[in-house]
Order: sequence, then structure tokens, then C-alpha cells
Amino acid sequence: MSKINIRQMTLISLFAALTAVGAFLSLPLQPVPLSLQTLFTLLAGMMLGSARGALSQVIYVFLGVIGLPVFAGFKAGIGILFGPSGGFLWGFIICAFLVGKMMEGKRGENIFYYFLVGLMGTIIIYILGIAQLSLVLGIGIRRAIAIGILPFLLGDILKIIAASFITRKLKSIIE
Amino acid sequence: MKISRNISFGQYIPRDSLIHNLDPRVKILSCLVMIISLFLITQFWGYLILCSFTLGGIIISQIHPKFIFQGLRNILFIIIFTLIIHLFMTEGEVLYQVSFLKITKEGLINGLLISFRLFILILVTYLLTLTTSPISLTDGIERLLSFFRFMGIPAHEIAMMMTIALRFIPTLLEETEKIMKAQISRGADFDSGNIFERAKSLIPLLIPLFVNAFRRADELAIAMEARCYRGGEGRTNYRELKIRKTDILTFAFTIIITFVTSIMF
Repeated sequence: MSKINIRQMTLISLFAALTAVGAFLSLPLQPVPLSLQTLFTLLAGMMLGSARGALSQVIYVFLGVIGLPVFAGFKAGIGILFGPSGGFLWGFIICAFLVGKMMEGKRGENIFYYFLVGLMGTIIIYILGIAQLSLVLGIGIRRAIAIGILPFLLGDILKIIAASFITRKLKSIIE
Repeated sequence: MKISRNISFGQYIPRDSLIHNLDPRVKILSCLVMIISLFLITQFWGYLILCSFTLGGIIISQIHPKFIFQGLRNILFIIIFTLIIHLFMTEGEVLYQVSFLKITKEGLINGLLISFRLFILILVTYLLTLTTSPISLTDGIERLLSFFRFMGIPAHEIAMMMTIALRFIPTLLEETEKIMKAQISRGADFDSGNIFERAKSLIPLLIPLFVNAFRRADELAIAMEARCYRGGEGRTNYRELKIRKTDILTFAFTIIITFVTSIMF
């Protein structure tokens, strides 16, 4: 990893803090309220690029590990990382990295491409999340999907759309 | 849109106990070792040993059990849920049957084991965050990560960014609330409409939030540069971490207990 300068450091911290703040913001939506964390995960990848985006999510996870209630449902602690829902947190890091990779070298402002990238990122979070959920709870993949994805599906699509719009507007500011 | 406030930040409870005074690195590593062995063990007795080991730790730490159980409330739902799924959905020798619902022996055993594992997992990690302040945990993480510096992991920078992020969180929360109120007073509507309208309604909230936040990040970068911040090389610490005899003994004890239980069960 190339050396990070001070401006990049503060930007990475900013996205880590925003992801944490996302856990405190929720939209009332059926069937479960929607928290904004993954919106900021996607945006971190889209705006900071692969390595720095992933680093911002690593910082976010560490904030939870040291005991701040920044994970979904105001949970905290290293146990959450290895517990049933921990796969989603690992997913955040990989998601930001891959989303960043897919955005790098793309100069155009094609909102459909952003949407596609966001979709891929969300699917990666799902894959890791479901894998750990079914392993830790010892339940089948199908049941894990029923409790780990289906309630959140609508909200996640909404977040991908929002992330695409925001990236189109902000990409020029950050560069 | 709802902003959750009044959440207690951090779980640390200061006391003067053996566990509190341990080196954070020792505590983090012991915690990891315990977690690994939790996933290796497959028998009830192994869990019982690890559980009593952890409970012993809680007693030594002088923390009132009420705080620990407050933390367990978070995970209670998922534990009960797992138990129910396993209880009713596993095929095997039927123990008890009410119409179409049947409890099987295999389901009961599996369900109890997995719930017990989750219970200890949360117990151990709560002990860590209750007895170690966020600052010393950050120090511990920094020092542990610096073993991997040869792989290019920026240990000092990560700890620094954690501290900066920590400082950003309350500011950003406050700012979000301000922008939300400002936009509502201009007629913004965050709480109705179909999925597209709702996604779009986030934009008048998030764009100003980002623009303000970028400005803040820039200002902070300039402030750090003005004070000649130049990264971790040759930097000294106000708090020096030292490994003492009790640290070594505790760590050795944890390793032995977890190793033996992992092999036996």
C-alpha cells in the first residue's frame, strides 16, 4: 500500500465516522427500519477507491471492536465480528475494496454503471454475511437468506440508487 | 428519518482489578484465543469449562454482573431464535410432539450447544470491552498491528485515523440533525413516497452533509500539517505499554486452558 498523506488520512477517517453515523440514522421502512451504514460503505468505495475505501471500513470495524456502539442495532465488541452477523462486517471491507476497484479508471459519469457497481458490492456483502450466518448458527443457506437478506432487500436497493445519485454529484468535488 | 440519540458511548467501567490492569495486548489476544477455541470445541463439557473460566474472570474484574447481562440482552433474540429453529426443524429421534411441531433429540442438543457457544462468545468479548478503555484498546490494536508492518500495514496511521473518526462522529451526528431540520423547514419530506422518491429524498440531506464534512476533513488536514504531523516514525507515546509478570502468567494460563479444552473436547 502506498504511503497515505494527511489529507487522505482525514478523508478515510471521515468515511469511517460516516459509516458509524449511518448506524444511528434509520429510515422507517417496511418490514424492518433501514439503517444507512451500507450506503456509506458503497460511497467509501466509490469515492475513495479500493485500498483507501477498504481502510475506512477497517477503521469502522475497529471502532466497534474497541466498544463503541457503531454496529447495527448499537452493538459493539469483537464478539459481534465473530458472531452470527459478523460476516456482513467483513463484507463491508471487501465490498468497499471491490467497489473501489471497479470505479478506478472510470472517468465517465454513467449512473447505470454506478448502480451496477453498487449492486455487485451489495451482493458481496450478502455472500459473506449469509455464509457466516449459516455457519455460526448452524442453519441452512436458505433459512439464513430468509433472515439475513429478505427483510433488508428493498432498503438495500434504495441505498444503491441513492449512492449512485450521490456519487455522480460528488465525484467532481473530491477529485 | 430517525436519529437515535442518548446512546451511551463506550462500555468501559473503570475499576482497579487484576483484569483491568492487564496489558490490552494480552487481553485482546486472550480474547481471540478464546474465540478460536469456542469454534473448535464441539462438546458440552468444553463449553462449561470455558464458561466457568470466563465467569471467574468476571468475578475477578469486580464488575457487577448486571452490566454483563445488559450486554447479553442484545443477543438474546438471536439466541432464542436459533434455539427454536434447531428445536423444531431438525430431523431425528422425536422426543415430544404437538400436532405438526416436533422436538427432536438432535435438534435439542444442537440448539443448546450453539446457543451456549454464542452466549460465551458475547460474555468473553463483553469482559474485554467492559474492562478496557477504548483508548487503551486502540493502543493495543496499534501495537499488535505493528507486528505486521512488514506487510505494509500502516499500524500507527490506523490508530490515528480511529482517533480522528472518533472525534468526527458526534460532530457529524449534530450536523445531520441540523441539515435535516433545515431541509424539513424548506418542505423536504423524508418519510413518504415510493422507493425511488425515498432514495431521492436522501440527496438533499446527504449532499450538504458531505460537502460540509469534506470541508472539515480539509481543515483538519491543514491543522495537522501546520503542527508538523508527519506520521508514526520516531513518534513517542504518552502511555507506554509494558508487559509485566501478571500479563505473562495470565496469558499462559488462558493459552493452557483453551488449548487443553480444545484438544479434549
